[in-house]
Amino acid sequence: MTTDELPVQPPVAIQPPAVAEPAESTARGIPAFVGQVVSGVALIILLGLHMVAQHFVVPTGLRFYDDVIAWLRNPVVIVLEVAFLAFVTYHALLGVRAVLFDFGFSERTEGRITTALTVVGIATVVYGVILFAAILGAA
Amino acid sequence: MAMSSAEPRRPASGPARRRGVVGWFDPRGRRLGGLAFIVNRLTGLGLVLYLYLHLGILSLLVQGPGAWDTFVDIALSPPFLLLDVVLLTGMLIHGLNGIRVGLVGLGFVASRQRALLISLMVVAAVVALVGAIRIFGD
Repeated sequence: MTTDELPVQPPVAIQPPAVAEPAESTARGIPAFVGQVVSGVALIILLGLHMVAQHFVVPTGLRFYDDVIAWLRNPVVIVLEVAFLAFVTYHALLGVRAVLFDFGFSERTEGRITTALTVVGIATVVYGVILFAAILGAA
Repeated sequence: MAMSSAEPRRPASGPARRRGVVGWFDPRGRRLGGLAFIVNRLTGLGLVLYLYLHLGILSLLVQGPGAWDTFVDIALSPPFLLLDVVLLTGMLIHGLNGIRVGLVGLGFVASRQRALLISLMVVAAVVALVGAIRIFGD
C-alpha cells in the first residue's frame, strides 16, 4: 500500500494510530492528533457563535464602532471570544508544527519548534486579552 | 526471493520521493485523499495568516472610531469583499475536510471517506456560493 492509498493522510505530527507509520512517530503523533480533533470540534461551535454574532446580531453586522464596543462589553461575549482565541491559536499552531515537522528536522529541533510555538501561542492569547482590555479601556 | 540489503532500494518515483513539504506540490499519482491533504495544509496556513492579520486589524479599535470607520470603509470595497469570499471558502474547505479527517482518523466511515469528502466539498461549494451572494448583496 502506498501513502496515497491510505484512507487519509494526516501529517506525521498528528497521525492517528490507524495510519501505517513507524511506531515511534505514530505514538508521538497521537496526543497531537487528539488535540487537533478536540480543538477542531470546539472551533466549529465557537466559530459558529463568532460568525452569528458578527453578522446576524445587528442587522448590518457588527460593523460600526459603537456596535462593536457595545458587543464587547458583554461579559459572556468576552469569555466566548477569549475561549475562541485560545482554541483557534492552539489548533493553528499545532497545524503549523505539523507542517514544520514535514521538513524532517531532527528530534532535538522538533522539540525546539514545539517550545517556540508554545511561547508564540501563549503570547498570542495574552496579546488578545490585553487587546480586549485596551479596546474597552479606550472606548 | 528474500529481501536483502543488496537489493535495489525503492525507486525514486515512489511515495518516498514526495515526502516533505516540497512533495505537497507534486500532483503526480495523487489520489483524492492526497489532494485533500494538500488543500487542507494550504487552507490551514492561509487561515493562520488571517488569524494574525485579524488580530492586527482589531487593534485599530484601540485608536477610536476614526481609525475603525476608515478601515470599515476600505473593507467594504469589492476587492476586500472578494477576499471575504476567499476566506469563507477556505474556512469551509478546511473545516469540513477536517471533520472528515477526524472521523476517519478515529476509525469512523473509513470505507466511505471518498464519498464523504465529495459530499462535504459540495456542501462547502454551496455554502460559499450563498455566502458570496450575501457578501456582495449587502
